[in-house]
Amino acid sequence: MPGEVAVVRFGRACVCALGRTWSQFWFQPRPTTPLEIARIGIGMAVLVHYGLATPYLFDFWGDNGWLPRALALETIDDPWTQSLFFYFTAPWQWIAFHGVFLLCCAAFMLGWRTPWVKWIVLVGHVSFAQRNPMLTYGVDKILASLLLILCLAPVGRALSLDRVRAVRAAKRIDLAATLPPFSSPWTGACTRLMQIQMAVLFLCSAVEKLRGDDWWYGDAVWFIFTNDELHTPFLLNILASQYWLVNVATYLTLLIELAYPFLIWQRATRPYVLTGAIFLHLMFATLMRMPYFSTVMIMGHMSFVRPEWLARLGQAWKDKIGEMEMIYDGRCAFCVRSMALLLAFDGLGQVKIRDFRTDPSPVVSDTQLEKALYLVRPDGRALPGFEAYRHVALRVPGLWWQIPFFYVPVLSRLLGHPIYDWIAANRSRLSAMGMGSPRPSLK
Amino acid sequence: MISKPWREGLVYIVISAFLVWHTLALVVAPAPDTSVIAASLRRVLHPYLTLLKLDNKWDFYAPNAGRGHQLRYVVEDADGIRHSFRPTDDLSRIYPSEWWFRSLYDWIADSPGIYGDAGVAMLCRKHAALRPVAVVLTDLEQKNFWPDDQLNGKHPLDPEFVTEKDLGRIACPEK
Repeated sequence: MPGEVAVVRFGRACVCALGRTWSQFWFQPRPTTPLEIARIGIGMAVLVHYGLATPYLFDFWGDNGWLPRALALETIDDPWTQSLFFYFTAPWQWIAFHGVFLLCCAAFMLGWRTPWVKWIVLVGHVSFAQRNPMLTYGVDKILASLLLILCLAPVGRALSLDRVRAVRAAKRIDLAATLPPFSSPWTGACTRLMQIQMAVLFLCSAVEKLRGDDWWYGDAVWFIFTNDELHTPFLLNILASQYWLVNVATYLTLLIELAYPFLIWQRATRPYVLTGAIFLHLMFATLMRMPYFSTVMIMGHMSFVRPEWLARLGQAWKDKIGEMEMIYDGRCAFCVRSMALLLAFDGLGQVKIRDFRTDPSPVVSDTQLEKALYLVRPDGRALPGFEAYRHVALRVPGLWWQIPFFYVPVLSRLLGHPIYDWIAANRSRLSAMGMGSPRPSLK
Repeated sequence: MISKPWREGLVYIVISAFLVWHTLALVVAPAPDTSVIAASLRRVLHPYLTLLKLDNKWDFYAPNAGRGHQLRYVVEDADGIRHSFRPTDDLSRIYPSEWWFRSLYDWIADSPGIYGDAGVAMLCRKHAALRPVAVVLTDLEQKNFWPDDQLNGKHPLDPEFVTEKDLGRIACPEK
């Protein structure tokens, strides 16, 4: 009996230990930021790729193109190979589907209504790929896998318009409110899935290569560039006269692909392996003219980016730029709403705010602030109105999308100043027109 | 009504099961078909892998880099005149359409019996101004091309480095 009890206790301890290890491996709470970077890059790549395919929509995926539907169904012969294109019956359906798909790709990239647009992007991509397998290659396969994982993951919680919307909603009630960064164990699990996918991909790619003489003897890169689809006379001349470059490139490719699945997991070696892998794909993008494939693969590598690296990068940026203070009119509802919108894009929290009505500024007088909002720079200098927004747009990463509007030579200032001055002069009227929320209760 | 701890435990088990399932799918998909275990698992995972396009080998330029080939064709018009074309020469290396068209031509060259008719129909439409009657497809399969050949001013598609394969004459579809 004591023996049996000991065995049961031992068994229970093993199960508990396994459970702890399992939870530690899969369910570490993680922020979504690395997956969001993947989302943005993949969304952009898919948008550009399928956007450029628009002129060929019917030739490639139509009923009477390079692969007619009847022939496609004949050659596929697997009921699990499904595509929405198999069910279209009229040309407007192709166009409508393609239009909706492209809009969803854009929304996916921007992180707008992410919880449901991501599924449309996945279904759309798989539909395109399955309808005409003649056009698919490695990138479409890895994309399907990464998109599935992004669909399962709670993406859209950071670096997204969904996040901007949520932060703005909170700040419209209280400008000082902060929304904590989203973090969850399920995000950790999805990140792991993406990491495992990338590791398996590299391991299989390396193992398959080792089965071929071209890679063993160090000639593979040479034969890749003599291939008609990649033939570049200039590059071949260099490689032919310095053949050691071919050997180095071939063995380096093998080394990176073999090292990746084993060394990417270690804290000490991850930065180097990641750098090597990204370098490899940058070479593919430039020398092999595969920017689409390389972009998607690099986005897959983002799953290995540690959140603390991103945090350090953000902090380094904040330290470089310094603290900025925006002074606004808290009695103006339109001004408060505008501040809420601006701060919603300030994910790094670089801009501090001051309501001059309740907390007068030692740098800018109330008289000046009655006329315009002011930005106090780290060096103590104050910038009014349009110049304040212009200064902030360049220094807050979330506002970089505004740079084209604020930095067109001559034109931006020519139009920007009068527009801002008009808004500032009419802000009370704008507030009364309902273009502002009731005065918030500031803490 | 399931109590909260039991519910949380059940969710944990279901999610863990899915993680095992998906990880297995990622690992089994590229596994060689000769493996009995992989083949058995693949039968179970097949619907999941196929529906979501996860069934991939990851054999990029493997096991060998491949020697490449180039599709060429001759359009026979109604007057019996033959017009030769090298379709990949027209492709711009800047646009992604290059990759799509190369891929189409590769598939036609590899399986002209299956994809040739549809491909020729598109080519006949493209060259409608010539009043085409038929298209003769040819595939140039590249042989080894070495550094010395490059340094001697040769090109990988020079006749001595290719094998020309006749893929057949396919009539244009009747309008």
